[in-house]
Amino acid sequence: MTVREFLEWLSLAPGVSGFEGPVAARIEGAWAGLAGEVRRDRLGNVIALKRGDRPGSPKLMLAAHMDEIGLMVTRVEPDGFLRFAGVPEVDLRTLPGKEVVVHGRRDLRGVVGHPPPHILSPEDTKKLPKLEDLFIDVGLAAVRARELVAVGDPITFRAEVRELKGGLVAGKGFDDRAGVAVLHQCLEELAGLHHAVDVYAVATVQEEVGLRGAVVGTYGIQPDLAIAVDVHLGDTPGVPEHKSFTLDKGPVITMGANIHPVLHRDLVAVARDLNIPFQLEAAPAGTGTDAVAMQVSRSGIPTALVSIPCRYMHSPVETVALADVARAGRLLAHFAARRTPGYLEELAWS
Amino acid sequence: MKELIGRLTGAYGPSGREDEVRRLIAGELEGHVDGCRTDALGNLIAWKGGPGPRIMLAAHMDEIGFMVTHVDENGFARYAVVGSMDHQVLLGQRVVFPGGRMGVIGSERVEKPEEMKHEKLFIDAGAGAGVGVGDVAVFHRPLEESGCRLVAKAMDDRVGCAILVEVGRRLTSAPNQVFLVFTAQEEVGLRGARTSAYGIGPDCGVAVDVTDTGDTPKARTMEVSLGKGPAVKVMDTYLMCHPGVRRALEESAAAAGTPFQREVLERGGTDAGAIAVTREGVPAGVVSIPTRYIHTPSEMVDYADVEGAVALLLAFVSRPLDLS
Repeated sequence: MTVREFLEWLSLAPGVSGFEGPVAARIEGAWAGLAGEVRRDRLGNVIALKRGDRPGSPKLMLAAHMDEIGLMVTRVEPDGFLRFAGVPEVDLRTLPGKEVVVHGRRDLRGVVGHPPPHILSPEDTKKLPKLEDLFIDVGLAAVRARELVAVGDPITFRAEVRELKGGLVAGKGFDDRAGVAVLHQCLEELAGLHHAVDVYAVATVQEEVGLRGAVVGTYGIQPDLAIAVDVHLGDTPGVPEHKSFTLDKGPVITMGANIHPVLHRDLVAVARDLNIPFQLEAAPAGTGTDAVAMQVSRSGIPTALVSIPCRYMHSPVETVALADVARAGRLLAHFAARRTPGYLEELAWS
Repeated sequence: MKELIGRLTGAYGPSGREDEVRRLIAGELEGHVDGCRTDALGNLIAWKGGPGPRIMLAAHMDEIGFMVTHVDENGFARYAVVGSMDHQVLLGQRVVFPGGRMGVIGSERVEKPEEMKHEKLFIDAGAGAGVGVGDVAVFHRPLEESGCRLVAKAMDDRVGCAILVEVGRRLTSAPNQVFLVFTAQEEVGLRGARTSAYGIGPDCGVAVDVTDTGDTPKARTMEVSLGKGPAVKVMDTYLMCHPGVRRALEESAAAAGTPFQREVLERGGTDAGAIAVTREGVPAGVVSIPTRYIHTPSEMVDYADVEGAVALLLAFVSRPLDLS
């Protein structure tokens, strides 16, 4: 599969936080052929292990989250319309008029509706709708709706993956399936490289609701070093230039308190050496990614963060450059391949 | 069991000072469990049955309260809230300090209602010395019955404690090793659950706690009502319930012949949120008692829901654990 095909295949699989089963199954299948061992832990993280060729070498954990933002049914109204909550809290600007899939007893297509402008006052048409004003219409009357849909059923956005010009693609769940695609690309590249370190590729659960998969996954694996792969603000009007990153100009390598300076230094060194374009981000305190949870697991893990610039985050038209995904995968693979069995000594604080 | 709920809700036990509640529960469980210990944070951990998988049931002992931050020369005490509390329910409430010292919550003169906040309120604990910085008061209200409804302060979560005590007493044999954990400091950050789950290393965790309802006039949309049975949680702010645990709990309700409701709580959390991310991860779920007016002195439950929760949990721990 090409990077585009793989990303599309992941994007189309449902996987709201806590309900990652379908997307996890696809990742597990894809990684079975690339890593020696693949397992699921007790919270549902997919963990692939590609052993290095020098036993006793450090363990490198790469993590990208596979859960996507979505909704959850909170009530089936007497007229068959569905009320819902966000998982996590939802950006109300993105909702009206969206197509969704309600994962009830079977999958039901639906639309997010709200009262039409004809009955609203001119002032009200200018206001952001409230969650209470919105509902999902699957087209069923109450009796049938209640047979097929229950409180607690997850809901995903329905969006095809569209190719834009300039090597860009748009779709849902690229946050952070683009990161999972990076891990996949990394495993593919590693097949052609010698590497001393054991590489754990982990597709984590429940990042969007509190980094929970990374918390338990890191505890279980007990890595010696860890790199999170996530998406980061792309360049669009309305996003300040100093806070955004240009699509197709390479992955973002972060520095700051969440990041071990030596890991940062060596990621940059590998990128420079291979002529992989990259962008730098300064994140003084936290990063809001799985890297936060991984860094403070057990007695502390040297951690880094590599990100894919992404426009329109937390919408069904998240947009990334395919080349950035391929570049990040290559960067991580060569970073892994160049770690020596004694690399941990370089990470010691002086 | 009503009588037990009365004694438990009447006990003094704000977060970090759960001793009276712990002693009461330990006494109630004596002779009914295989063993009992208290950990470093003050969690009471009792166990029974086995030697199968380890199931941890958790209910928190602590209640919300008022910690004195300053006492002026006339004896009026300012406070910090222990846990979370809306100042709107406080004016004129009676509170009690350990040792039985009473206080009444009064207010400065406030021109507009929107100016009201905790900083404008104080505790009037009567003239003379007796209350100092760091002392903690809790609401002073006895348990009342109103038809099939029970009303008390600290129903959150002494009703859960009562349910766990009842499960411990009625459980005769179980294929699982059942840990009944009465946690400390839930209201201030799920702290007792974190350390007790780490210590136990359970294969499955279920919190038993109160939850909001949507059945009062113009309430926020929530499909949980009093009297329709205990609720099996799907999600809250801290937890996406493990699908296998949810299924097992729902099947246990059916096996016990008790109705249940599905719960989606948009704001709030329970000990299960901490249990789930312990060590390498613990499949976790929640059995909730629908409760109106949570974090007020008049938390209201339906007794049938309480009995239903006991039946559900007994069925759950008595069956072989299957989380598939």
